[in-house]
Amino acid sequence: MASNEPERREEEEAGETAAGEDEDTGAQIAPIVRLEEVAVTTGEEDEEVLLDLKAKLYRFDKEGNQWKERGTGSVKILKHKETGKVRLVMRQVKTLKICANHLILPSIKLQEHAGNDKSCVWHATDFSDGELKDETFCIRFGSVDNCKLFMETVEKQAEAAGKKEEKESKEADSAAGELEKLSVGEPKGDEKAKEEAPVAADEKESESTETKAA
Amino acid sequence: MALPNQQQVDYPSFKLVIVGDGGTGKTTFVKRHLTGEFEKKYEPTIGVEVHPLDFHTNCGKIRFYCWDTAGQEKFGGLRDGYYIHGQCAIIMFDVTARLTYKNVPTWHRDLCRVCENIPIVLCGNKIDVKNRQVKAKMVTFHRKKNLQYYEISAKSNYNFEKPFLYLARKLAGDQNLHFVESPALAPPEVQIDLAQQQLHEQELAAAAAQPLPDDDDESLD
Repeated sequence: MASNEPERREEEEAGETAAGEDEDTGAQIAPIVRLEEVAVTTGEEDEEVLLDLKAKLYRFDKEGNQWKERGTGSVKILKHKETGKVRLVMRQVKTLKICANHLILPSIKLQEHAGNDKSCVWHATDFSDGELKDETFCIRFGSVDNCKLFMETVEKQAEAAGKKEEKESKEADSAAGELEKLSVGEPKGDEKAKEEAPVAADEKESESTETKAA
Repeated sequence: MALPNQQQVDYPSFKLVIVGDGGTGKTTFVKRHLTGEFEKKYEPTIGVEVHPLDFHTNCGKIRFYCWDTAGQEKFGGLRDGYYIHGQCAIIMFDVTARLTYKNVPTWHRDLCRVCENIPIVLCGNKIDVKNRQVKAKMVTFHRKKNLQYYEISAKSNYNFEKPFLYLARKLAGDQNLHFVESPALAPPEVQIDLAQQQLHEQELAAAAAQPLPDDDDESLD
């Protein structure tokens, strides 16, 4: 990636070394483990990429009241093809480690960074390490336009998530109403299930006896 | 080799010993990999700090237990005790301080006294600094002693993954080993109440007013 602009000058100065950079001058050493190739899953297979931009991510360190770098790489907005859930995933370049992974919820609020118009900040419950953590993030893009595009995309998806939530809760409400109506007949159904259970066990038993006999 | 109180994992792990003069950037380099942050403040390491560092490769997940040792003599502590059962190593020097390169042979000798025949990477750190004292052409020690050499910058992340990649390839005897995406698991649903959200928004406003640690748009186009 192009993150090496300042170093390129050094590399040119370095000349030979730069050219032979991947030259292996190390000793021949017997390996100590044998590893088999494994299938690689990104966890993003069932998602549609709505946005993919290069960026630098920071997290706010409350104790030190300062921003700390989290990673540089590509930030993606992904929409699940079945559930429709939208999340933000960012990976560090080269090591491909996850530096952000959280849902775009209706409650998300993006705000421009006061001192940098290519940056914006937000709060999220992040799942990068496989456990939920409250984080305040700041992301910086290469251009004002990219930052705008990012903000617009996230806001649009947050709004859509809000509408979806509303619709689902309405559906849940009406489903709950239906259930209430049904609940009158519930005890009967319960008894019936109890009655049925021993029968099923009997059947199983006789089946296994049959198998034995055979 | 893990410490007794360290969590054991069910995937391959290796003890990586990191040595070199004080202030060459060993701790900063490890921290960069652990959290992404770049620590500017210098606080000498006392004794040793062990940090597990995981990577996902096309051959599965692997872990380096990074033994980040004190570079300063007075904080050195056990020294040989830190090296024992080391399975791979990084020797770090600072290209802006000639003496740190001059001391590389001493670190190498001490290391090899305890750890025989392990893959070693020599790292010239801080190559982002304009006035370097040790030019790439002056670095020859690795050729004499059969080490791998990388110029790195913990500040700009230049080549920052290379030492680990090289060591992983050597330990597994697989030149095609490479890093792959770790699975991004689906984040669970969370419920946020109004009071929490208000608190977050207050914090957000305060955070947005704090300047970013670096403002150079070197790489983001």
